[in-house]
Amino acid sequence: MIQVSKFTYEPGEHEAEKASNSYLMSLIAVVAGLPLPIINLIATFFFYIGNRKGTYFVRWHCTQALLSQFSLLFINSYGFWWTISILFTSETISSKYIAYMLTIILFNLSEFIATIYTAIQTRKGKHVVWWFYGSLTNLICRP
Amino acid sequence: MKRIIFQALLLIALFFCTWFLLQQNDWMKTFKVEETSNKLEQKLGDLFWDIIKKSKKENTNPFLVKSIDSMVSKICKANQIDRSQIKVHVLESDDINAFALPNGHLVINSGLIVATQNQEALCGVIGHEIAHIELSHIMKKLIKEIGLSALITISTSGGDSEIIKEVLKKLTASAYDRTLEKEADLKAVEYLKNADISAEPFANFLYEIALRQGDEPKYLTWINTHPDTKERAAYIIEKSKEYRVINKPVLTPPSWKKLKAILQE
Repeated sequence: MIQVSKFTYEPGEHEAEKASNSYLMSLIAVVAGLPLPIINLIATFFFYIGNRKGTYFVRWHCTQALLSQFSLLFINSYGFWWTISILFTSETISSKYIAYMLTIILFNLSEFIATIYTAIQTRKGKHVVWWFYGSLTNLICRP
Repeated sequence: MKRIIFQALLLIALFFCTWFLLQQNDWMKTFKVEETSNKLEQKLGDLFWDIIKKSKKENTNPFLVKSIDSMVSKICKANQIDRSQIKVHVLESDDINAFALPNGHLVINSGLIVATQNQEALCGVIGHEIAHIELSHIMKKLIKEIGLSALITISTSGGDSEIIKEVLKKLTASAYDRTLEKEADLKAVEYLKNADISAEPFANFLYEIALRQGDEPKYLTWINTHPDTKERAAYIIEKSKEYRVINKPVLTPPSWKKLKAILQE
């Protein structure tokens, strides 16, 4: 799912730090934005906007961090509104709902671990490519 | 590009497969959700009933209790409803009202029994309230209007007595939403059909009572809390036409007369 590969050039120390920060940004946002999933995306998006004129390595990793937030946004938002409807409407808790919440916990946890790993590796200047998101980033982000 | 689409589809499939696999376990049982919500319902029901008991007098006349009990039992038996879960109470009050509380408490005001022309109409009202209990409408209404967290607070800490009274008012003097009312009405018709009780007198009772709306409003709580009475009577009649019922009254005519006489005293 996660692959460490060679980037087109050797990134400098400053670049590695900035690229690594894009993942840290999404990590902080995950913690702060758990109740409202859109916060994660907004935070990562602003970091992306701030670095869109950065070097290729920085831009590439900012894009990968942003894209990885998208899929989580959908599944987390669905879970969030489902919970709200249980708390405030006639909707009741069901096995289906609990299974959904466990699924999103699993996916969030996997993303969380992957993000920490990627942040550490990127800080060392290594190029970490995620399954699907990496390919998608290659398509969007050009040198 | 094809590879990306394939990976995206695989990722989506992975998500739904995980969700599907996790659904195979009965999490409600694992996390004892039903047990916990039953406990909450039980606590709320007892709490509300205690408050009512303190402010109003319960009529425990043995003949009255036995008569109402036989009506409830007949409806329950014919519809495979656990009779022991329904706790019937008759309150001494002129208000034409009946309501259901959490944990299967079914409260009927003596005023409502007096207002009914025949026992079938009373059975209709009882059937309607049992339907609210069986279809879990009471907790649905409370959760929707009060919120789950507030209900848990009330049930655990006892809460402020004024707040509890306000919550109780929502059950005794305000209507369920239109969908739930219709659902309870139609279920009541079904219950009556299975118990060999005609639903027509129930509809007629609604018509009659709608005409009395010019009376002192406080005596017509049940009707004021159940809007569109005429419309309800119409769809009850319509639904009852689907079945052919040979009416078998629960009480004998003298018993019904005696029951009314006791209350009119």
